[in-house]
Amino acid sequence: MHTRLLLTVIPTQSLRNRFALSVVIGLLSLTAYADEAPTGEMIYQSKCASCHGAKGEGKVESYAHPLVGDRSIGELTEYISKSMPEDKPGTCIGDEAARVSQFIHETFYSSTAQARNKSARVELSHLTVRQYRNAVADMIGRFRGPGSSDDRVGLVAEYFKSRNFGGNDRVFERVDPVVSFDFQDKSPDADNPEGSKIEPYEFAIKWRGSVFAPDTGEYEFLVRTDQATRLWVNDQRRPLVDAYVKSGTDTEHRGTIFLLGGRSYPLRLEFSKASQGVKDQKAKEKPPAKASISLEWKRPNLVGEVIPARCLSPSQPPETCVVTTSFPPDDRSFGWERATTISKEWDQATTEAAIEVAGYIGNHLNQLSGSKPDTPERAEKLKAFCRRLAEIAFRRPLSDELKQRYIDRHFASASDPDIASNRVMLLVLKSPRFLYRELGSQQANANDAYNVASRISFGMWDSAPDQELLQKAANGELGTREQILAQAQRMVGDRRTHSKLREFLFRWLKVDRVPDLSKDPERFPDFSHVMANDLRTSLELFLDEILASEASDFRQLLLSDSVYLNGRLAGFYGAHLPIDAEFQKVSLESNERAGVLSHPYLMTGFAYTATSSPIHRGIFVARSILGRTLRPPPEAVAPLAPQLQPDLTTRDRVALQTSPEVCQSCHSMINPLGFTLEHFDAVGRFRKDENGKPIVATGAYRTRSGETVQFDGVRDLAKYLSESSETHAAFVEQLFHGAIKQPIRAYGSQTKESLREAFVRENFSIRKLMVEIIAASALTPADEKTQTVVGSTQP
Amino acid sequence: MTHPSRREFLRDIGLSAAALPFILNLPSLGFANQTARKQRLVIIFSPNGVVQKNFWPDEEGDEFTLKESLTPLEPFKDRLLTLHGVCDKVRGDGDSHMRGIGCLLTGIELFPGNIQGGSDTPAGWSSGLSIDQEIKNFLQADAATRTRFGSLEFGVMVPDRADTWTRMSYSGPNKPNTPIDDPYRMFAKMYGRMKDQENLKSILDDLQGDLKTLASNVNSEDRRLLEEQTTFVREMERELSTGPVDGIGHAVPDLEPGVKEEADNMPRLSKMQIELMVNSFASDFTRVATLQYTNSVGDAKMRFLGVDQGHHELSHNPDDDEKSQEKLTTINKWYAEQVAYLAKRLAETPEPGGGGSLLDNTLIVWTNELGKGNSHTLDNIPFVLVGNGLDFKMGRSLKFGRVPHNRFLMSLAHGFGHRIDRFGNPDFCTVGPLPKLT
Repeated sequence: MHTRLLLTVIPTQSLRNRFALSVVIGLLSLTAYADEAPTGEMIYQSKCASCHGAKGEGKVESYAHPLVGDRSIGELTEYISKSMPEDKPGTCIGDEAARVSQFIHETFYSSTAQARNKSARVELSHLTVRQYRNAVADMIGRFRGPGSSDDRVGLVAEYFKSRNFGGNDRVFERVDPVVSFDFQDKSPDADNPEGSKIEPYEFAIKWRGSVFAPDTGEYEFLVRTDQATRLWVNDQRRPLVDAYVKSGTDTEHRGTIFLLGGRSYPLRLEFSKASQGVKDQKAKEKPPAKASISLEWKRPNLVGEVIPARCLSPSQPPETCVVTTSFPPDDRSFGWERATTISKEWDQATTEAAIEVAGYIGNHLNQLSGSKPDTPERAEKLKAFCRRLAEIAFRRPLSDELKQRYIDRHFASASDPDIASNRVMLLVLKSPRFLYRELGSQQANANDAYNVASRISFGMWDSAPDQELLQKAANGELGTREQILAQAQRMVGDRRTHSKLREFLFRWLKVDRVPDLSKDPERFPDFSHVMANDLRTSLELFLDEILASEASDFRQLLLSDSVYLNGRLAGFYGAHLPIDAEFQKVSLESNERAGVLSHPYLMTGFAYTATSSPIHRGIFVARSILGRTLRPPPEAVAPLAPQLQPDLTTRDRVALQTSPEVCQSCHSMINPLGFTLEHFDAVGRFRKDENGKPIVATGAYRTRSGETVQFDGVRDLAKYLSESSETHAAFVEQLFHGAIKQPIRAYGSQTKESLREAFVRENFSIRKLMVEIIAASALTPADEKTQTVVGSTQP
Repeated sequence: MTHPSRREFLRDIGLSAAALPFILNLPSLGFANQTARKQRLVIIFSPNGVVQKNFWPDEEGDEFTLKESLTPLEPFKDRLLTLHGVCDKVRGDGDSHMRGIGCLLTGIELFPGNIQGGSDTPAGWSSGLSIDQEIKNFLQADAATRTRFGSLEFGVMVPDRADTWTRMSYSGPNKPNTPIDDPYRMFAKMYGRMKDQENLKSILDDLQGDLKTLASNVNSEDRRLLEEQTTFVREMERELSTGPVDGIGHAVPDLEPGVKEEADNMPRLSKMQIELMVNSFASDFTRVATLQYTNSVGDAKMRFLGVDQGHHELSHNPDDDEKSQEKLTTINKWYAEQVAYLAKRLAETPEPGGGGSLLDNTLIVWTNELGKGNSHTLDNIPFVLVGNGLDFKMGRSLKFGRVPHNRFLMSLAHGFGHRIDRFGNPDFCTVGPLPKLT
């Protein structure tokens, strides 16, 4: 062992690297020659396990205590170097001691390792915030028709020859992809070869259809016009923007609305060019005024833009009940949303939301219940409505006892059936049967079909089961893997699955919170917020395309050599498109790209304002793609300022800064991964050199089994990652947690591996993996005694 | 745009709290603002001018006779003040009806815009805030006079359309306030939260019961979660029983259900709104209120008075059309009855925590967008004041020689101790508030 360690030093002297030896040792000990060095685990098993046990559990005859404690890795290393093994202290030192310490610390010694090793179980969980909002929206949506659908993009536009929207004045109808018109002082059909049928003095336009909200959050709608306008979004009764009265010089009319992502909302826009109020009989004596209108929005945390055609559709979906009450955020300390604890704030939010939703239902009670006020059958109709709603909310039929408790009692005691309905709503929405994902099954029957239905739908959609799923549950048709597979296959094409997967991918890529991409204006004078916005769109289009494709091939996320660009981005990233070109897939000839790994949005995000950041990029590859665990740095370190070492490349500077031994336990993995992306600068543009020095994009990765793989550049890296079973297993595990929100180990020690095999078998289809995950989790295995099953009784 | 039916809104009572702050996090309704005298202001609007000869007392001073239109106010004659000769001198864009209502409480020009009137240039919204909002802001700025709403904007039969003719109160330039002309909605605004609390309270036993059932069905580790929730529910129960529900201090008004918003129901709607306003004062929800009957150019057909033509249409008829003059007088007399009814209800209601009645601390100002309907003059705008809220010397008929109404708006602010030296267009404010009022 000792000689091997020496060996790692000697060859470094022959390298062309002209910087401090210490840098080189740190950097290369695990790269060029690392495959010869044993892993921490190998060291442990050969030198320590004989006394401490294979898993640090201790051995009665030698060291009876489990190997647990609170020393840091550094302290552990120091201790081991000095005192271990007990019979031969001094034989496990330096890098070897560091590696074995890291292994011990991460595998069973530290408190986090202990927590990780506790036997996992499926815990009782409440709805996450996203699940709550979806469940409410779908619950109320069940009482509304599906609306009309239409595959085209854009809005239906009706053009009228007067200021009103009367049928007789309608001249023509068409679909406008976007609303962005400058009519000047002309008629909207001025180019009609048969002659314009609309005079320029006075006309009106009505657009209708729907708007698709990609993400959840506050949307600011902006109608920019010099004429009278009104805009309705979702709620068709109260306009979001009412600028029927034009007053002063204001031409920007805004309204803000909270929308749930992954859904379409009815939208209507009216525009009227004319003075309003009393009809101006002399209007035609004056020259026609100018008129323009554009419909824009600011998506959550993004910059304003004309609402793109891909988010507009002539379909007419029904209104959606959107819960706006703010909930405390879900616990993400494990990297996925765990909902296994509650707080007073959460409880209050559920009360507030119950009042909000009950109020919404009350405002739409006639429509939803299909009954009229003051009619003799009102009470019976409302009772039936309440019962159906409670059954949808609880995801199972009501027993007589529950019907009595939740429905009948309130109709008997309230003075008025409407008040009774309100009370039922409040009770249903505060009930644990609604708020928790699985509760209310009969004792000792945790796998009753309704629980299974909930597991499937929350796993697949983050929402409650639909009618068909509940029907299958009622028929007892959710008892076998095949039956569950059939349902999961049916549901995977739904846009709720798409939306859930999309959100998962954003989190996987660490861009679920929109990063600030401001750049050094001196270095990158042409890089703007608008381009940052465009880059996010480019990434969204890429992810959406893969998710929606038949193959939904995970490997394409890493391997695709094209990037979505519009005219603005093309100019900047070296592609040839007209400046006003819409987004399209472009293969960048002069430089190599590999899917998300080199996507300019991520490269720009994993970078400083002026320089790239191999560390951020390496951490992303290590954690997200390879699923490696990395601790936070032992001490906070400010990056070395580039101007202090003007001769160094970014790569050299990073190597220098992270050369100390204490850094190397992680950076020996991080840096060589990040270095492979050095061809991409701080705005994700391809470069061949930096400060006049050629880019070196070589790197390496030491696998979990101790082999070292070498790369040169992003395509090398991508090829390796797309084929690596580590990558596959990491994706499987992360998607499982994102979907099911329970620890995968609670589903049996083999689940992860068998899902990985299924992933390989299904040609890395993300959608098929989702189906497999549902099938693997919906029937909680009842035969493993270590697992506690929700709903079962304790002895 | 269609609104849900009135009946539906009654159903909603207690259900529309979404926009309100969370019920459990409200400050209590007993306050630091109960020590000093609670001064209040009500501004009532009715449209289309008046028949001047049947409206203004001939005499000046404290000896005067009420003309036909004002006879319903006879019981309050000693608490009445008529201000003849106050003129809206604001000009600029918009026709007289638009400027009449849009400049009435703001004293400043309308912005240019796209709303075309019967004559003149088109206009938009007012370019300044209105005096009720100015006074509201003044009162809300001080904890000693702050109330839950600050101001409430009531309406009766206001058309469901937002334009210059339908808005009187402005919280700023281009910021018209929408009056609530549906009593059930106003009720929900005032008391909805309480109904929510009542309904919440009524379900807690069932919730606790079911939590208990469920807790016994899950394993011990998961049970902890449900037990925690049980504790939270118990805490909520405690908070609800000490919250504003029990501390409201006065009866919630009982509204007649199912009154539809149509002209024939104006008398009932008017009464309901007045009851709610009196309640809002008694519970100190607000100290400033406006009550807008229909709108500028309002054309309600008041058949319940035996008048079959629309009000605006009638108001255009010439002075020598005796029949029309009579009908218009009848209409204005009905409005005076509404003012008198509000005064009566305020006089009957004791001032909570103080001596006297609500009327002792409230000033009602009844006004109009025009002086006279057929000429569309903005001179001699009706300003009839009832009540003792601002310490004006009441029981008089005052006559001014064509003074700008901005000066009267300033007087209202000064009456609250808010000594502004201008309001609206400063050109009309140079000599300060109106003399002779106090």
